[in-house]
Amino acid sequence: MTDMLPGLETVLQTLATGLLVGCTYGLMCVALGLIFGIMRLINFAQGDFLMLGMYFALAILSGLGLGTSIGSLPALLLAALASIPAFFLLGWVLHSLLLARIAQRRGATEGEAHQTQLIMTLGISLVLSNGALMAFGSTPVSLNTPLASQAFVLDPLGGGDVLVFLNEARVLAAVAALIAAGGLYALLHRTDLGRRLRASADNPLAATYMGIDVVWSYRVTFGLGFGLTALAGVMVATYYPFQPYVGLDFVIVMYAGVVLGGLGSVMGSFWGGVIIGLVQQLSTLVLPLQLQGTTVFVVFLLILLIRPQGLFGRSVERA
Amino acid sequence: MNRIGRKSPLLLVSALACLMGMGAAAQAADDLKIALIAPVSGPMARQGDLMRKGAELAIQDINAAGGIKALGGAKLSLLVEDAGDKVETAKNAAQRLVANRQGVVAGTGSWSSSLTLAVTEVTERAALPWVTLSYADQITDRGFKYVVQTVPVASQLALNAMPTVLEMAQTASGKKPTKVAIISDSTAASQAFVQPLRDGGFQKLGVQVVADEVFTPPLNDATSMVQKLRATRPDFLLFYSTGFPDAKLVLNKMNEFGLGKGKLPTVTVGVQFASPEMLKAVGPELLEGLILVAPNWPSKTQEAALPSLTSRSGEPWLGQDTISTYGDVMLIKDALERAGSADGDKVMQALRTTDRKDGPADFYLGDRLAFDDKGRRVGGAVGLIQWQSGLPYLIWPKEDAVKTPLWPKS
Amino acid sequence: MFSTRPRLAYFAVAIIAVLYVAAIFLTTNSYYQLMLALVPVWAVMGLSWNVFSGYSGLVSFGHAAFFGLGAYTTTLLFAKLNITPWIGIPAAALVGCLAGVLIGAITFRLRGHYFALAMLAYPLAMLYVFEWARLQEVSFPMKREDAAFYMQFHDQRWNALIALGLLVIALLVSLKVERSRFGMSLLAIKQNEIAAEVAGIDSYRWKLKAIALSGALAGAAGGFYAVVLLVVTPFTVFGLATSAQALIVTMFGGVGTLWGPVVGAAFLVPVSEILHAELGGKFPGIQGVVFGIAIILVMMKMPQGIVWAVRDRFFAGKGRPAGSAVTPAHLAPAFILSEAAETLLEVQGVSRRFGGVKALTDVTLKVRKQEILGIIGPNGAGKTTLFNVLNGLVTPDAGSIHLKGTQMVGLPANRICAKGVGRTFQVARVFARMSLMENVVVGAFVGAPTDAEAAERAKAALTRVGLGHLGEAPADTLTNYELRLMELARALAGGPVIILLDEPFAGLDAGEVRAFMALLRTLRDEGMTIAIIEHTMQAMVQLVDRFVVLDHGCVIADGPPREVVRDRTVITAYLGDKWVPDAVAS
Repeated sequence: MTDMLPGLETVLQTLATGLLVGCTYGLMCVALGLIFGIMRLINFAQGDFLMLGMYFALAILSGLGLGTSIGSLPALLLAALASIPAFFLLGWVLHSLLLARIAQRRGATEGEAHQTQLIMTLGISLVLSNGALMAFGSTPVSLNTPLASQAFVLDPLGGGDVLVFLNEARVLAAVAALIAAGGLYALLHRTDLGRRLRASADNPLAATYMGIDVVWSYRVTFGLGFGLTALAGVMVATYYPFQPYVGLDFVIVMYAGVVLGGLGSVMGSFWGGVIIGLVQQLSTLVLPLQLQGTTVFVVFLLILLIRPQGLFGRSVERA
Repeated sequence: MNRIGRKSPLLLVSALACLMGMGAAAQAADDLKIALIAPVSGPMARQGDLMRKGAELAIQDINAAGGIKALGGAKLSLLVEDAGDKVETAKNAAQRLVANRQGVVAGTGSWSSSLTLAVTEVTERAALPWVTLSYADQITDRGFKYVVQTVPVASQLALNAMPTVLEMAQTASGKKPTKVAIISDSTAASQAFVQPLRDGGFQKLGVQVVADEVFTPPLNDATSMVQKLRATRPDFLLFYSTGFPDAKLVLNKMNEFGLGKGKLPTVTVGVQFASPEMLKAVGPELLEGLILVAPNWPSKTQEAALPSLTSRSGEPWLGQDTISTYGDVMLIKDALERAGSADGDKVMQALRTTDRKDGPADFYLGDRLAFDDKGRRVGGAVGLIQWQSGLPYLIWPKEDAVKTPLWPKS
Repeated sequence: MFSTRPRLAYFAVAIIAVLYVAAIFLTTNSYYQLMLALVPVWAVMGLSWNVFSGYSGLVSFGHAAFFGLGAYTTTLLFAKLNITPWIGIPAAALVGCLAGVLIGAITFRLRGHYFALAMLAYPLAMLYVFEWARLQEVSFPMKREDAAFYMQFHDQRWNALIALGLLVIALLVSLKVERSRFGMSLLAIKQNEIAAEVAGIDSYRWKLKAIALSGALAGAAGGFYAVVLLVVTPFTVFGLATSAQALIVTMFGGVGTLWGPVVGAAFLVPVSEILHAELGGKFPGIQGVVFGIAIILVMMKMPQGIVWAVRDRFFAGKGRPAGSAVTPAHLAPAFILSEAAETLLEVQGVSRRFGGVKALTDVTLKVRKQEILGIIGPNGAGKTTLFNVLNGLVTPDAGSIHLKGTQMVGLPANRICAKGVGRTFQVARVFARMSLMENVVVGAFVGAPTDAEAAERAKAALTRVGLGHLGEAPADTLTNYELRLMELARALAGGPVIILLDEPFAGLDAGEVRAFMALLRTLRDEGMTIAIIEHTMQAMVQLVDRFVVLDHGCVIADGPPREVVRDRTVITAYLGDKWVPDAVAS
């Protein structure tokens, strides 16, 4: 065949990987976008929530031994399903005990109130990551499912000249991400709860007048965001080794995706994550691999500067 | 706001008082102290822990054998300072050590070369003899007098290791590899190793570099690199990753693309590839056949001592971090015996003039343990380790090897 | 702040410096000497963050960019070119300053969270670039001779002294900023950027100055940090932890205060180090947990940081002097505007749409010197938009606006203010954290060459509106009436030729309205021209010389009060058709 084929193969492979990686990022970004978009809270503990989700998966698969007794795929699905309610509760408690308890100083501007919450999430992040270090140790661990090193092989042209590999764990994670993001979309746009959450985000004061308990809405949001992040953690754990500080590897990607998608647009955050995944992978076709990280930031800055409301944002920042 | 000003000095003074109070507790008995500065918290804590085990075992063995005979059987004790994960924490740890150093005669550490660079800046100024297993060239490029590196430096390691690898490959498969792909992360350690090879090292050996990929950790996905491997079809891969997750992602991806399990012979650097954690995280299938270049590894010379050390350490097997730190403490002990004094200058003099073929030399690869005028190891050898049926074995140099190397004959 | 005596603060800086020097010389342990050098480094970093983010309210997560560039500047100059850090550190400050200008110029288009997150990207992108450029580990070559010349002191106390020197410089710079129009302008921007712009503050320029200064301080701190550590890695200086450290020490100590970052660093740096030294080896991780819990607790109990909490606890209650009674006033006899009065402000054919909505359509009107013009119209008629166009907050799509013959369209709000257009808002835009005097002085900077003169003008304006005795009262203790007067005083302090008042009587009782009207009349009698939007028709009919009526963005009537209130179209616009006969009859 011609020399073009390895090139074509590389492009297709990169595109496929970008999409798969992007969907997982999308799930992380949706979770953060929910918290950021509705509560306007910059949550630095988001990466640590992800880390907790990973250890949760480990506990179910190895700790309870379900990985061997019922097989790793069913155990994984169980972990994924259980993670949302478990961490929703944890998020609920965290919000009631800490974030909602910040007494505001008289005369503090809204910005200052957010800054206080932000520092508090930094504190929570420190406690979670170092607490995990004490509980689980610093040794990196992984779920070690066979999924991580097996692939579905596509042969798009037939004849076996061009093969595209789809990692099974990544595919599973992408499917879970799409389902979870779709579910969240339905929740936000098709249910009364969703309307209340969105009203609290758009105009907390007006929502209060309409009889919506905004603090309660925030608590639900925080819980949901935590639950979805933990789900993303479970899925990432299927192919990514982790230790208590693993969250830092992802937190930047999450924020980049959310801002890219647009503040306030929860589904935009998903696409933002997908785009980050694609940019990361496609940049390797033209640029040195080492600048992969920089490309993400450059795209991030460019989008912010050209279109500050994000790709899918609805409103520009109010004056 | 003005009036707050008067409060601040009070706070400051109380903070200082607090600091001083804590410091006073740090003094203790008049044993000879050996210091270990290693990361015992943070992401590198596992390595620090392995080093601590090595140091503790060595000190137990020395004390059990009667301490330092030249100093009237003086006993040794270990002082561990946490190097953390940043240059600042490592520097603080070193400063803490030299400030409160009553009885500290020498030290070893600190795993990562960045941390070692910072630590030795302090120990050099304090004239504290320092032994390190870090192998960055820079450590002994600064003209320091109070440091020795017990393993070959990175640039030597690279240039010495590759002919060894080729020789071994030829011996095992009957054919000399001619095409290599390089994957390395951007850390100083990796680049120090890869750079001399890239700059003509491979060319001299008659090996063509068909792909050369550098990534900045953490890696999020290894597809693009492994795809390059698939496209360029090298005879073997030189893979240098300091990060554990990155290594696993690459190995997983190679397997997924049908290059794993020894199909594409892979040479890596760094002992984290031969750790029990790696086995647990990646599984024996993916590691099978993987070859590691290691500056140090348990070898035949330790056959007698090794089983007892291993069982006392509680680890399934011992790797470089533990065995080198064990050796470092043994080397310090040897220097103390030869110096006949705990005086820093005399101990350093003894360390620098070390020339042993037994004793502490048994815990390092190579036939001779000596140092050049920079403090670099003379007589060191490069070890090659290979995963075979789920365990890492020394396969090279031949005279120390525990198993014969495997290389696919395709 | 602005109005208090600055001497006391300089005195406090001097005392701290003397005590610190004493502490340095009493410390013989080299480890504590190192701590004494690191505490000021992080305090300077906190002050740097505070000068920009603390005062302007634009949160930066990216101060590691300046710190890291400073550290690499000093290190590379020394390692590659053998240039001493004595030159390297000032060079680092310069690099930090330039980086600040560049980053600011690009990023100031963004506000709020967007700005904060964009800042996050800079140091992290730099981290990759420095790794890529093979600068993963750079160390200072050791100098055994001329150590002092190369800032490589054997006695660490010298390092602590240099660090203290940097800290004193940073404190003096901060103090200078805080006590001048620089800091006041930033605080005004932080609390209400639009009000600040309207009061004549060029927010872009001040923010740029602030980030340049802040970048210089962070660059110097980074440069010196490299000298202390002697080894620089991208992760150490560009990492997220470095940016977070600047933010944490400041917020812990108290944002927007001079002493906050110093208190924060003096407390947190040693505490984290002690935790590390004492517990790190035994229970890895516990130091982070304790540190994290401490941060959480402080944020719960003292959300604005220690300094604010202490200030509120011990120095609150200073409150305000007794309230100002509303002096009942009778209106001065009507002023007869001369027919020949010159036209001051001329609006020609101004139109403006927002999306599909026509907010203003072909609006043409004139305001003559010393006139009181009432602008009325139903809700949504475009009155406030007209004001926004007049003072530059909104640019018209078409038309021209001339003030004394000078074209105003296209000028930013602060420039229009400088040309003599003062403005108050429908909802009083207060700088709640600042005193009354500070609120007003913000409006005075525009016309005053020196800060002292601005203070004079602010005082005069306050006296003019009858709040002279309340200058020190915090703005959030004022009554609604006083806030209205305060806004008027702020507009007056800039020395305007015309003031635009947007519903000044909203929420006032009848007596207050009368007093306010009397004040406006007197101002006019003294030569001021006033345009006023108001719904209280009864008051307006007595107050104004002329009405302009807007409906759906068009001028539907323009004339003396008596005529306009009987105008058929006006009544229709206000009340609907069926009321017209009744209204005309009455």
